Amino acid sequence: MLLKITKMLTLLVLTSSVLNAAQFNEQAEKDRLALIKYFEAKFEDPEKNRNTFFPYSTDEELKNGFIKGLKHMDFAKGNYAFNKDGRSQYEEINEMPPYEDAIEEGEAIYAKTFKNGKSFATCFPDTTIGGMYPIFDETRKQVITIGQAINECLSTNGEKKWKMTKGNMAKLQAYFAAETMDAEKKIDIKIDSTDAAAAYQRGKEYYYTQRGYLKLSCASCHVQGAGQRVRNEKMSQLLGQTTHFPVFRLKWAGLGTLERRMGGCIKDEGQVPPKSTSADMKELLYFMSYMSNEMPVDGPDIRK
Amino acid sequence: MMKQNKVLITGKKFAKLTLVSVAAFSLNTSIFASEVTSLDVKAVCNVEKNGIDNVLDLATKYNKIAKKEGLEFMRLGMKTSQYISGTQKSIKDGSKTVDILNKKKKKTGTVTTQYAAWRACSFAIGALQQANEAKTTWKLAAPGDGYVY
Repeated sequence: MLLKITKMLTLLVLTSSVLNAAQFNEQAEKDRLALIKYFEAKFEDPEKNRNTFFPYSTDEELKNGFIKGLKHMDFAKGNYAFNKDGRSQYEEINEMPPYEDAIEEGEAIYAKTFKNGKSFATCFPDTTIGGMYPIFDETRKQVITIGQAINECLSTNGEKKWKMTKGNMAKLQAYFAAETMDAEKKIDIKIDSTDAAAAYQRGKEYYYTQRGYLKLSCASCHVQGAGQRVRNEKMSQLLGQTTHFPVFRLKWAGLGTLERRMGGCIKDEGQVPPKSTSADMKELLYFMSYMSNEMPVDGPDIRK
Repeated sequence: MMKQNKVLITGKKFAKLTLVSVAAFSLNTSIFASEVTSLDVKAVCNVEKNGIDNVLDLATKYNKIAKKEGLEFMRLGMKTSQYISGTQKSIKDGSKTVDILNKKKKKTGTVTTQYAAWRACSFAIGALQQANEAKTTWKLAAPGDGYVY
């Protein structure tokens, strides 16, 4: 009898927690599915969809510049999912990836002991964590990015914090990303509470809000503008935008984190970017990462 | 019993104070929002009409809020606050131009002092007006919310 009651109670608790979790990410799921539907429609056939999505593109680029008929998972490659020229250049560069040394250096950083005898393995025993950050810390009521978690590990162990955008920070993240990709893991961002849902919502609002003297939102270029050309570059799409970080960017001639890239984007809009550990930046990354949920981790990678 | 009453009264006072503060804050925010929205940037930031000092005062006042809200504009590597300080320095030195500096403090160009003051003022107010407007428009860009295609 007692066993039956325990079983019933366990089942009840499990059902209620699953239902609650489903409830907390209900809006985020709605957003993600709408985004997939939008991009699949947009890139089904750019030439055919000219009036709806590509009013300013030339006939030639619509006819010959796009890979057509893309489905959800194809977008994990970012811009190279649809950009024919970019894709062939990307594949060529990837024959000798410029980020390989960084992965090895990241592995060495991971294994190196701190002054107190501990190492990153103390804080991150599992190295395949590239797809689970940012997380929402229910105790501290804030989003924690992988960069913040790394720096907190350093300071807890009496070490100096690192710059959030490049250097050792990017190298260690490259190692985590490579390990995650090798383990064939996917982006898996969780929204398990009202507070987490609110943080997601603020991140979403930040993404879609027009800002800076150019009055552009992130979405102007990476939702409505995705696939359109600025000078000689086709702009990437929000879906799958976080799967491949950190990236080796040719413009930087080095490796950089997602915070570095987003800071640059916001500057391009004509606004002073938020600090890498500010609530604005972390919640923005939380929203963006959730949009890439279920997509395979594909980092580190190269971008122009 | 007396002690209990005192605690109760203190609690009530605290609740009242909180309510008053919240109400005052909301009122202040809405007054401020309507104040910013109603400003005509071209008119209030006109240096010839209003004088450079008044224009700079407006820039300083509103950029302080924009900065606090994480909305400060930047152009050519210069933040609005740098346009303000650059213009102030230029007036003090009797110069007619303001240097445009990149993040490494290297000079990349010049603008007239009057133009720098106009830019600082229009950026400071524009940042706040835009943010106010975006509160009701951002969802129009989100697939699944208000974006129709």
